[in-house]
Amino acid sequence: MNFDISHRTVYRYSAPVAQSHHLLHMRPRTHPRQKLLDYSLYIDPLPASKADLTDDFGNPASIAAVEEDHTMLTFHSQARVDVEAPADFDPSHSPGWNDVAAQLRANLGPETFEAIVYTCPSRFIRPSREVHKFARASFPEGRPLLEAVTDLTARIHQSFTCQSSTVAGAPAPVEEVLRLKKGVCQDFAHVGIACLRTMGLAARYISGYVLTRPPEGMPALTGANTSSAWFSVWAAEMGWVDFDPSNNLRPKEEHIALAFGRDYHDVCPVSGVLLGGGEHEVEVSIAVTPVEPGA
Amino acid sequence: MNSTAGDVALPQEFFSGYQRFAHGCDEALDPNGTVRPAWEPFVQAFGALTRGEQAQRHERLRRLVAENGVAHDLFAEPGTRQPWSADLIPIVIGAEEWAHLERGLIQRAMLSDLIAKDIYGPQTLLKTSRIPPRLIFSDPAFLHACRDPNPPAHLVNFFAADLVRDTNGVWRVIDMHAETPAGAGFALANRLLHGQLMGDVFRACHAVRLARFFERLQTELVQRLERDNPLIAMLTPGPRHEDYFSHAFLSRYLGLQLVEGGDLRVTGSRVYMKTLEGLKPIDLIIRCVEGSHCDPLELDPNRFGGPVGLVQALRKNPKLIMNSLGAAVVENRGLASWLPQIAKQLLGEDLILEDTGRRWLGDLDARVYVFEHPERFVIRPAYEGSGRPGRAEQGILAETLTPQKREALKFDLELNGTAFVAEERHDCATVPSWTAEGLKARPFAMRLYAWAADGEYRVMPGGLAMSLDGTPGVAMSATDGHSRDIWVCSEQQAAVPHITLMRPAGEVAEALRTGAVLRSRIADNLYWLGRYGERADWVMRLLKGALTAASDSGGAGTGDGGPRALELLLGKDQAAGAVQGLSTDPHAIEQAVQLLMTAPGRSYSLPGLRNSMLRAGGIVRERLSLEVWQTLLRFSNIVPDEQDGAADPAMLFDRLSEGIVTLASLNGLTAENMTRNFGWRFLDMGRRIERTFNLAELLLALFWERPSTEEETARLFFMLSVADSTITFRQRYLFAPVLPLILDLLAVDESNPRGIGFQLATISKHLWALPQATQHSPHTEEQRIVLDLMTRVRLANVAGLAYPGPDGVRTGLQELLGHLIASLPKLSEAITRRYFNLTEDELRRVAARFGQAS
Repeated sequence: MNFDISHRTVYRYSAPVAQSHHLLHMRPRTHPRQKLLDYSLYIDPLPASKADLTDDFGNPASIAAVEEDHTMLTFHSQARVDVEAPADFDPSHSPGWNDVAAQLRANLGPETFEAIVYTCPSRFIRPSREVHKFARASFPEGRPLLEAVTDLTARIHQSFTCQSSTVAGAPAPVEEVLRLKKGVCQDFAHVGIACLRTMGLAARYISGYVLTRPPEGMPALTGANTSSAWFSVWAAEMGWVDFDPSNNLRPKEEHIALAFGRDYHDVCPVSGVLLGGGEHEVEVSIAVTPVEPGA
Repeated sequence: MNSTAGDVALPQEFFSGYQRFAHGCDEALDPNGTVRPAWEPFVQAFGALTRGEQAQRHERLRRLVAENGVAHDLFAEPGTRQPWSADLIPIVIGAEEWAHLERGLIQRAMLSDLIAKDIYGPQTLLKTSRIPPRLIFSDPAFLHACRDPNPPAHLVNFFAADLVRDTNGVWRVIDMHAETPAGAGFALANRLLHGQLMGDVFRACHAVRLARFFERLQTELVQRLERDNPLIAMLTPGPRHEDYFSHAFLSRYLGLQLVEGGDLRVTGSRVYMKTLEGLKPIDLIIRCVEGSHCDPLELDPNRFGGPVGLVQALRKNPKLIMNSLGAAVVENRGLASWLPQIAKQLLGEDLILEDTGRRWLGDLDARVYVFEHPERFVIRPAYEGSGRPGRAEQGILAETLTPQKREALKFDLELNGTAFVAEERHDCATVPSWTAEGLKARPFAMRLYAWAADGEYRVMPGGLAMSLDGTPGVAMSATDGHSRDIWVCSEQQAAVPHITLMRPAGEVAEALRTGAVLRSRIADNLYWLGRYGERADWVMRLLKGALTAASDSGGAGTGDGGPRALELLLGKDQAAGAVQGLSTDPHAIEQAVQLLMTAPGRSYSLPGLRNSMLRAGGIVRERLSLEVWQTLLRFSNIVPDEQDGAADPAMLFDRLSEGIVTLASLNGLTAENMTRNFGWRFLDMGRRIERTFNLAELLLALFWERPSTEEETARLFFMLSVADSTITFRQRYLFAPVLPLILDLLAVDESNPRGIGFQLATISKHLWALPQATQHSPHTEEQRIVLDLMTRVRLANVAGLAYPGPDGVRTGLQELLGHLIASLPKLSEAITRRYFNLTEDELRRVAARFGQAS
């Protein structure tokens, strides 16, 4: 299924910014179920330098520096992607989670190796007793991995309150989310990933978009109209399997991935460091619309 | 102890009373108590000195360490300051043994470099489990952003290893350093101090000098850059870092620009240094900042230790930074168990220097084993930051934990074992240490350095040794900071040509620095050091004047100059509440003086000014001579603290006199000892602008309105005394002061160094000599302001200014001084805009976060 994405971020500053550097993860990556058909990025004012690169997690990224005084800065990306729904499966027929963890420890081949980095601590996700305590309930010895993760996803969805306002600043530590039992989609993704890593499993963070307009008769998904986040777990021969704890479901084609990383820090769509600028405001607008075949 | 060397008998008494450890393994003596051959020349030469001579040298060394600031952590809180001392007795290593260590160290350096290149390149070692991938991927020093398909010749240029000798006599590597030059400045400083005190013994031992090693490094650094006059910067985290001394010392010795993140800027993927003349491109950065702190854009978002965009600049120029970003990953202690295999695979060699026994606790089997034999192991972090030498963490002895705590540790390691290692405990060889009570055996570790500027690695013929605490771990952990030099002794005298003694560091630095660029931030802080210093001087003069007037009069008759001046100072802090109508009551005056001398939060109080001076002074410390710095510290100690409580007026008075004299000597030292470069001009300009402003303000406050004749005379005397011009006035005039003459002396006269005219003339001289001055009109904004002020003051009619209107108000005086008071801040801003603008405000980080819009 094809989608058009429009993602616009506008910064407004109370005082002129003399120089700003930005790191962008706005170009949707490709993966076995996703193709990028068309992409453009508009930056105003025009950056003095812009470089495109592929980061260590295989995501396309750009580094842009604006060198003239500005009080407003706009990033607007437009993309068309083709997303395929994953094959359906029965979670109870997945490998036991202990076996998957053992495979990861053993580093048995290129696929395992690619997954190992996602078993390790990262900036926002570190192992802790609190996380282990929460995770353990879903992981009795020998339980099929995807059954356990389905259970974990449901528990996160049930136990935590989804906040509905846009929050600025750095993400909350996982322990704090666990304590307060509330957060936004990225916090729930972080909790899920932290739980899986504590059990010795590989889990990655996915930043992306969720289809804006729901199918007729259905409510809009949580995370629509904004950038969203969910996670993916490595299930040995079954590959990477996505879970969305904010909506308690397994993403199909209405979830469009932007980038994969260990956590939010690796794949934040727009971040930057400025000289000057005083106070700042951010305005983000996102629209994801299905494209009729042949359009 | 009856060994002989050649036909000279060894001093018998040298080792008398020397108690070795039970294991008996000592550097200087073999197990039978015989002096080892390598130590014989040392024992002969040093032992030939009387104990009195030795004690004298010991004391001088202690003093030199203190005076050179080796021991001084600039911004450390009192009580957290790290002690530092140096022993008279070095570690002496014979040529043969050194050759072995040298080979081993170079092998380690090469191996570390190859490992780093693999980890940041193809990752073959990880894919094939030669190194467990989790060990690397869990290490925060591994920087994903620095993966590079086209690595430069070396990722690790500066390498160091810490070694101990175990009780079997085998050298073992206990730590490796690849993040920064790892305290090499301390090694150098120790050697220079030793050179001053032990030159005779050093020569008698035919010990190898360091000079040639550093000269070669300097040459190779320049060669590598393939251009004339390259700009090489040493990037430091700044004076607050515990290893700052080492950075400052090394950069000065090598003639490198010492910079902090804020001095640099990345534009168009090139790194520039912000200087008075604008942005200057940097050719090479020698890094003393942890890799992850170097770029808030792509690395740790909360650290601003390097310029924004440095990672991208490095991608464009892979040879830009030494050591390359992320090199610290090879410091991971967990690597130890895998190194022998890797050496075989990558170099086809056995490891020459083995590691101390270590197991990485990310490994399940290792964890099980360690908890089966807790008595044999110490548990320590697998990676530590790069701090001051001797500050490695000491670790946990599982054996000593209660069963409950041991279980908790077990569980923590199950969750987070990748971050820890278990280390086999063993004793270390000792070396004699010189104390007033006789020689004392102390276990030690030594840090050796292998550096490669462009091509191959070379080992520094020396290093830094530190006494160990005798704690269970075998890290370089020396809480008392007891260090010593390492002497490499050649057997043949001819092998070491006696080149001249090393030039003192200052001389080298000076020669290389002539005409060097001045960084904007340094200029900025010199300017403010000048302003704060002058302000502190002014405040002390006013306080002293007010106290004197109050005590002379017993309350009446000497006028209200003092109280008015105090009101002026108190009024500077609007938040603290303006003060009006301060009485001439001596008590009230003493109270106000006490407040201004001890209140820390006020901008015109002595503690406030002292703190500002220390802050600015700390930033420009490398530009200040040792005497200037020491005088600044002395002044800072004179300023009383709030907790000193209510003090009697005599004490306050003494402190003020002492403070004024100390600041005067500070000014004298800067005037006499600072070269007349741009830096000095900014310092002096700050002082002059501040003084002009203060004089104008006080003249206005005291004389804008005509009081009674008696009162006016009292104020004139007060004015003369605080402006330190009483004697000048007396020499010229034999009668009581009158306002026109005072105005002539303190405002118009350009020959009185305490007057406004003199200040303005000096400022203008500075402004015309600065890099961006224009010699013809149109002049720069700051030049125009000074021209305007000078002209107005020169043309002033002092009699007319002193003449009051019918309402008693001197409008002419008000207008002139008011104009000065309004123009001087504009002058300061214009200078800031032109010369310090590149210093800019703080960097800030922004990001759009996820959330729900609807």
